[in-house]
Amino acid sequence: MRAMIVKEFLQLRRDRRTLAMMIVLPIMLLVIFGYAASFDVSRISAVVVGAQAKNFSQRLKAPFSLVGTYPGQGAAAARRDLRDGKADVAFVTGGGSTLVFINGADLFSARAAETAVARLSAPGADMPRLQAELKKVLPPGAEIKLVAPVPPRVKILYNPGLKTTLVMVPGIAGVILVFVGTLIASLGVVRERQAGTLEQLAVMPLSPWDVLIGKIAPYFAVAAIDLALVLAVGMWLFGVPMRGSWVLLILGALLFLFVTLSIGVLISSVSQNQGQAMQLAMLTVLPQILLSGLIFPLSSMAAGVRWISYLLPLTYFVQISRGEMLLGQPLRDLWQPFLYLAVLGLVAVTFAILRFHRLLNPSQGLGAPRRVQSAEARP
Amino acid sequence: MADTLAEARGVVRRFGGHVAVRDVSVAVHPGEVLGLLGANGAGKTTLLRMLLGLLPPTQGEVLLFGAPPSLTGRRRIGYMPQGLGLYDDLTPEENLRFARAVFGIGHPQSETKFSDRAVGWLPLGVQRRVAFTQVLQHGPQLLVLDEPTSGVDPLMRARLWQQVRAAADDGAGVLITTHHMEEAEQCDRLVVMADGQVVAEGGLDEILAGEEVLVIETPDWPQAMSLLEAADLQPALVGRSLRLAASEEALARQALGSLEFRLRRAPASLEERFVAIATGRR
Repeated sequence: MRAMIVKEFLQLRRDRRTLAMMIVLPIMLLVIFGYAASFDVSRISAVVVGAQAKNFSQRLKAPFSLVGTYPGQGAAAARRDLRDGKADVAFVTGGGSTLVFINGADLFSARAAETAVARLSAPGADMPRLQAELKKVLPPGAEIKLVAPVPPRVKILYNPGLKTTLVMVPGIAGVILVFVGTLIASLGVVRERQAGTLEQLAVMPLSPWDVLIGKIAPYFAVAAIDLALVLAVGMWLFGVPMRGSWVLLILGALLFLFVTLSIGVLISSVSQNQGQAMQLAMLTVLPQILLSGLIFPLSSMAAGVRWISYLLPLTYFVQISRGEMLLGQPLRDLWQPFLYLAVLGLVAVTFAILRFHRLLNPSQGLGAPRRVQSAEARP
Repeated sequence: MADTLAEARGVVRRFGGHVAVRDVSVAVHPGEVLGLLGANGAGKTTLLRMLLGLLPPTQGEVLLFGAPPSLTGRRRIGYMPQGLGLYDDLTPEENLRFARAVFGIGHPQSETKFSDRAVGWLPLGVQRRVAFTQVLQHGPQLLVLDEPTSGVDPLMRARLWQQVRAAADDGAGVLITTHHMEEAEQCDRLVVMADGQVVAEGGLDEILAGEEVLVIETPDWPQAMSLLEAADLQPALVGRSLRLAASEEALARQALGSLEFRLRRAPASLEERFVAIATGRR
């Protein structure tokens, strides 16, 4: 047994990448996820519309953060601002009690908003302060009778029951695509390398692009079927609505799939064996699940960690899938996630192509030593 | 058709501090079978991979069909690596069909029938036959075979060589690496490598160059063997006779002393010549 343990340690010492993964990675993940793992919402963005908008907005205090006051607009504009992601909550003033719209698609912000609105409108919440203020300006002995304001009517939009499943299922569809795309595709090239068939491909008349697309296409088809199944089951079993455009959702999913598959193939092309490929793939999958806004709201993350979220494709797919399924957002509200996904896809596929070029054309590829004529040229 | 199908000009390949191939120049011509002969680690496979463009030379130049290795050139190559380059989880026909699709050729007129089982489940001899069919089916002008007959029985080996000769007769250039001397003897030209260098080059006759060995015949060959080894000589036992380099006659006579023996000279075999050349370089 001792011999076995010693042998394992020897092998582990030689496998620097695994050793680094075992020691450095847990510390790194703990620090990153420690800063990211927070359900606390400290800032709730709010818009105020209607005749009393100016007066009302002056009364808003933290955690509400005013992003717009529109006295000339009504409930329809307020709904639109919520749908377009401009605010988490909208106050519609004028005409009796205030109407409050809360965006239920952002679960934690919605729950925080619900609590904050309740506190704001609690009967008598401001009474002692007002009484003290009035006593200062009124003659001594004057009778002060304050009438509690009419409590606002709260309406939660897009997810009235604040059901977790409605918010999670669109994002989970993305997680499944990440698993199929990155984890499974990451084994594709490395399997060829280990089986010795990569060398055969390298002497066949195949361009790097041929090999890349040939590798991606089957996974792309399987993942597309997976996506359709997940969405169908999500809608049928959990009642997830589809309020937006199928075309935009499918387009976003295909774009996202292209990015994840490219990352998977890129990982595969830089790995020497399947173990390394799996380790690297996990390194990209885990942060996507925890930092994409799928579980923890992006707004709750420390700024130093949030920038990592913006580098992760799942962050943008979650925005697109929730935006289409729950909110029914038009393209003009989602152009940014689409654009960022396209940029990430372009970067990933460029690196993958360069790696494939190097694998299949080592004589001309990147990093190939410059050709130097022999000092002793032969006839 | 180009005069030279593949050519290495003064190529050097280093792996860190180790020089695997040093200043080697070889060329493969249409219709010839060029054998790359050498012990394990002599640099044969490294040279071959450089010729195919699979490995960039650290120094020197490689030309395939008169130009640096490229996608166009690949259409004219049939390469069979040591690992065969077959997909274990596909059947022989599926492997062949894939290669045909990549090379853009139709279904062959006469088709060799193989098992319907996945390649990984087939005996090594059959796997080699499938791999060989695969590299031949698009009619390559340059056939590159890395130790194609290792692990193959004599009958299968003979059949593979028949096909190699037929391909060369049809005008293809064949570059073949081997460390089997009996196979090397079937090549039109040989390049002998040792320690990453070309130590001999030419036809079989040129390599042998009329070299002779000493043949020692004695009833007590075990005693003769001990005496020769004690004198730091390295005799080879062939049947019941011992063979030594011709230059070692005086030393051999001295070592054998009063032992009853008969000594004559015989033409050196390729293996003996190869050992002499390779060890001589060291």
